[in-house]
Amino acid sequence: MTTRALPVIGSERSAPTAPFLGLSALWIQITGTWCNLECRHCINASGPRAPWLRPLDGATVRRALAEAETVGVKEIYFTGGEPFMHGEILPLLERALEVAPTTVLTNGTLIGPEQADALAAMAARAPYSLEIRVSLDDTDRALNDRVRGEGAWAKAVEAVRLMRERGLLPIVTATEITRDEHGAESGMYERFRDFLHEQGVDRPRVKIMPVFGLGRQPASLEPPLTEDDLEGFDRSVLQCANARVVTSTGVYACPILAGLDGARLSTGSLAESFVAAPLYHPACVTCRRTGMTCRNS
Amino acid sequence: MPEQLGEYRRIAVFGGVYNNWLALEATLADARRRDVEAVFCLGDMGGFGPHPDRVFPLLRQGGVLALQGNYDESLASGRADCGCGYTDPRDNHYAAISYRYTFGGTSAENKTWLGALPRHRRLKLGPHRVLMCHGSPRVINEFLWESATPNGLLRRLMDRAEADVMLCTHTGIKWHRALPDARHAVNVGVIGRPENDGRPNVWYTVLTAGPDLTVEFVPVAYDHEALACEMEREGLPAEFAETIRTGWWTTCLENLPARERAGGKY
Repeated sequence: MTTRALPVIGSERSAPTAPFLGLSALWIQITGTWCNLECRHCINASGPRAPWLRPLDGATVRRALAEAETVGVKEIYFTGGEPFMHGEILPLLERALEVAPTTVLTNGTLIGPEQADALAAMAARAPYSLEIRVSLDDTDRALNDRVRGEGAWAKAVEAVRLMRERGLLPIVTATEITRDEHGAESGMYERFRDFLHEQGVDRPRVKIMPVFGLGRQPASLEPPLTEDDLEGFDRSVLQCANARVVTSTGVYACPILAGLDGARLSTGSLAESFVAAPLYHPACVTCRRTGMTCRNS
Repeated sequence: MPEQLGEYRRIAVFGGVYNNWLALEATLADARRRDVEAVFCLGDMGGFGPHPDRVFPLLRQGGVLALQGNYDESLASGRADCGCGYTDPRDNHYAAISYRYTFGGTSAENKTWLGALPRHRRLKLGPHRVLMCHGSPRVINEFLWESATPNGLLRRLMDRAEADVMLCTHTGIKWHRALPDARHAVNVGVIGRPENDGRPNVWYTVLTAGPDLTVEFVPVAYDHEALACEMEREGLPAEFAETIRTGWWTTCLENLPARERAGGKY
């Protein structure tokens, strides 16, 4: 990749920043925004037609993995889009697992018996943990499919079953998009945990994420963070302090904002992105307020 | 700067006492029989078990050289929680019970003692430069699990610390990795609760200097039934006593990576 001067546009010029403390989490946006689903809350409006962020080629991914290894990365994440639409996903996961524990974020709809076999074999021989995060927004089929599309629930639940049978422990990842449908008293963790128990999962793993006002959701109207908002706040806990996302258009500060000009820190190497990240976007308010991370825990 | 200590030939190191005064007694007695020159604790004296103040006289009389863990830091500074960073409300529920109980049962004098502990220690084990920490050299509550700690990260942490041997704890499950460049990373385990393998014993570590380093994990059997009964009498959750009796973790499972989680029952 060649290096070009970065455009500095709009409010990110004067935004407060998060310091860069070293690369802990490397994110690979392997399929860009190419996905077989078109979820109505998708943070980067992924879908099956003309992805606005192109998939990555295998060579770029391998270069990023090698560079991350030299700086002592702690964990690697593959996301998209839907990573299992990438023709090289399995060999690239295998390569990543030589470097660090690796997680793949999937909607589960493309994981059949063959893929589940391959993932279980890979997990067994890898030096580090392979984590599979399966997105499911509701334990109720109709509520889930209203968000994720007809048939998504059944395929994701089947993927969880196939993996469970092979000794894998997928992390079911939900957003709070349907929370209001369950009344004020509903405990999401409990509901998902009970549901997974009913599915025969004896070691249920659940991760809950907030809904962000970007992508296919209405834009957040919250004003961006100011220095005053961050007074006394430990910015090192923000994921942009130690994560970077490699995409087909450059390296970005966090998975939520990957592909957005204001969050682009490098158009070349990973190392060039090791600079302070501007906290310019309303999504940064959500991170600051909730303490959320896109990492597994 | 980390405190600089002397040179040793053979040491015992443990982490995570978690109020388990019976296991601490048994560990110190075992270590004395093994000809060690010094005993080190990598922090987290409180949480989980009964009667928080009982471990402190044992640590002091035993001459244990202790580090501060995240739990110790929280207790000493009056934090509202243990600092383990859970998001799952079930984990937070049990962590909060444990923390409230321990906070209430730890004397002001002992909290002050915890607050004065160093966060790192350096020493020489024969030719090896050793760095001791609680979670990781960079973050007190960073989890370094065996299946989630890559060699590249260990090299980076040890390069920065100018160490040949890094000793940590915090996760509750021991491991040892000899890097291809002859450096060593050791998670010394904890003596406060068993390590999620269906056995009630706990573990500590004996390290012996030589041309290469010898790392020996030592199982410690203790009267775990007596401890479980004390926990019940103190009104601590039945899930905690179950862990002590069975060796399976029942709570605070959120941070376990896939491989470590697969090794447990829950």
